Amino acid sequence: MWGYVRDIWQGAKSIVVGHIVTFRNFWRPKITDRYPHSDAGKNWRPGPGYRGGFALLKSDEEDRELRCTACMSCARACPVGCIHIEGEGKGKERHPVSFYIDMGLCVYCHQCVEACPKDALTMTDEYEISGTSRAVLVRNLEELVAAGEGRTEVSRVV
Amino acid sequence: MSETTVAGLTTEEMIVNVGPQHPSTHGVLRFVVTLDGERVNECVSHIGYLHSSLEKIAETLRYEQYITNTDRFDYLNGLGNELCYVQAVEKLLGIEPPLRTRFIRTVMAELKRISSHLVYLGCYGNDIGAVTIFLHAFRERELLMDIFEAVTGGRLLYNYLRIGGLRNDLPTGFGDQVHRFLDHFPRRLTEMTDLLTENRIFIGRTRGVGMLTAEQALSYGVTGPSLRGCGVPYDLRKLRPYAAYDQVEFDIPTFPEGDCLSRHLVRMEEMRQSLRIVRQLLDKMPDGEIQAEVPRRLRPEAGEVYERVESPRGELGCYLVSDGSDKPYRMHWRGPSFYNLQVLPEMVRGGLVADFIATLGSLDPVAPDIDR
Ligand code: SF4
Ligand code: SF4
Repeated sequence: MWGYVRDIWQGAKSIVVGHIVTFRNFWRPKITDRYPHSDAGKNWRPGPGYRGGFALLKSDEEDRELRCTACMSCARACPVGCIHIEGEGKGKERHPVSFYIDMGLCVYCHQCVEACPKDALTMTDEYEISGTSRAVLVRNLEELVAAGEGRTEVSRVV
Repeated sequence: MSETTVAGLTTEEMIVNVGPQHPSTHGVLRFVVTLDGERVNECVSHIGYLHSSLEKIAETLRYEQYITNTDRFDYLNGLGNELCYVQAVEKLLGIEPPLRTRFIRTVMAELKRISSHLVYLGCYGNDIGAVTIFLHAFRERELLMDIFEAVTGGRLLYNYLRIGGLRNDLPTGFGDQVHRFLDHFPRRLTEMTDLLTENRIFIGRTRGVGMLTAEQALSYGVTGPSLRGCGVPYDLRKLRPYAAYDQVEFDIPTFPEGDCLSRHLVRMEEMRQSLRIVRQLLDKMPDGEIQAEVPRRLRPEAGEVYERVESPRGELGCYLVSDGSDKPYRMHWRGPSFYNLQVLPEMVRGGLVADFIATLGSLDPVAPDIDR
């Protein structure tokens, strides 16, 4: 008998407590966003250190040459081997003539950026990277240089 | 097919497939359950749907290249897996990471434990039929995700730990961000306790369900909250302190009943203990270097090493064999979910089919951690 009454009491209490919690949450600010339909969603940028699409950076000096010397450190560091570089020239003249990164294979680990001795390669805050075919996911030299326009800093947590 | 007689009526056994795609299997897992009416006679698990050769891949990658892969099997505990792997390689190389690095690693591993238990909490509520708690748990988890993103640049796949160090130091404002979480979270945890743990229906669905005795658990190699839910205080953080766990005070919650409810209570209490650990570590956080001296080419001496850490699901072990080259000769992971799953048939046999889901959820398996 007492167990029966206690069950009813506990059941009723559970329902009331549940409703109180729900009611309290009803007045809390909402934290979800209707991406990509809201303005906040469209203008949102990830924080520093975000690992998104790639860019090749140019030197800070007058000549604005690419910093990359086609040393292959990044290609060697990559765990999936999705960077393909061909270089030309000797010593100071050395520069890449082709630079492909297959974003479809990339695991976004940031290891290539860390391996670069010249701070020439960076990951950016570009996050809408998906494409409709595998071919569009392969970034070539021109695309990488274009993505680096206006950027001087390598992605890093500050 | 065997036939059983219940009070003069003849019933046939029925075979039901739970999974591979089932909302309660937490990934791609399949169970072939033999039912006699509502009772479970036998349960056979079929695993391997998410096998991704992560052990074989290690043999083709240099030691420092493999770290990113460790995030990918037990994806709810990425930083904890990295910790296990990195400690194994450090042991092989004889490197001692700086104190600050050990502190930061421990803070991140504990925050990851809270986040993993929050996923458990949300999904378990969902399995049992309490959908609301899922949204509550994931809202709080989002705050942790923001912390991880600020520190590592990634939300799920971090690649943050390095052999002998870390990728980068903590960002400015990290302490404030975590303190805000530490102040805010206990209240929300109480709210979630009110909502789920003290709910009459939840208790009815979990108390006395999926019983596991300490002997069974030990003989099957069950570890983690599932073992502590049988009253065995086995926790590697206390028994064999690694990283900075020797610097902090915390308790190991145990509950003796061995049912789904006690496993749930262990996890709820562990979140509180993790908060305690993080708070102490932040207060004591030393300054200094974060990277130990590490040779440029990592070529450990030929030999083998086994390193284990306490993941949110149990004992996570990493076995490495080196042949003196810059790649592991062999790697093996001891995934806690795999061992915990083995005991499931014992727990569900003779129970109701609805309790099968409750029992499975209470073991908190992560499918890629089972298959790897
Ligand atoms: S981020 Fe990682 S996987 Fe992607 S290109 Fe760089 S090294 Fe390779
Ligand atoms: S991006 Fe950096 S690491 Fe890669 S080839 Fe160029 S200079 Fe070398």
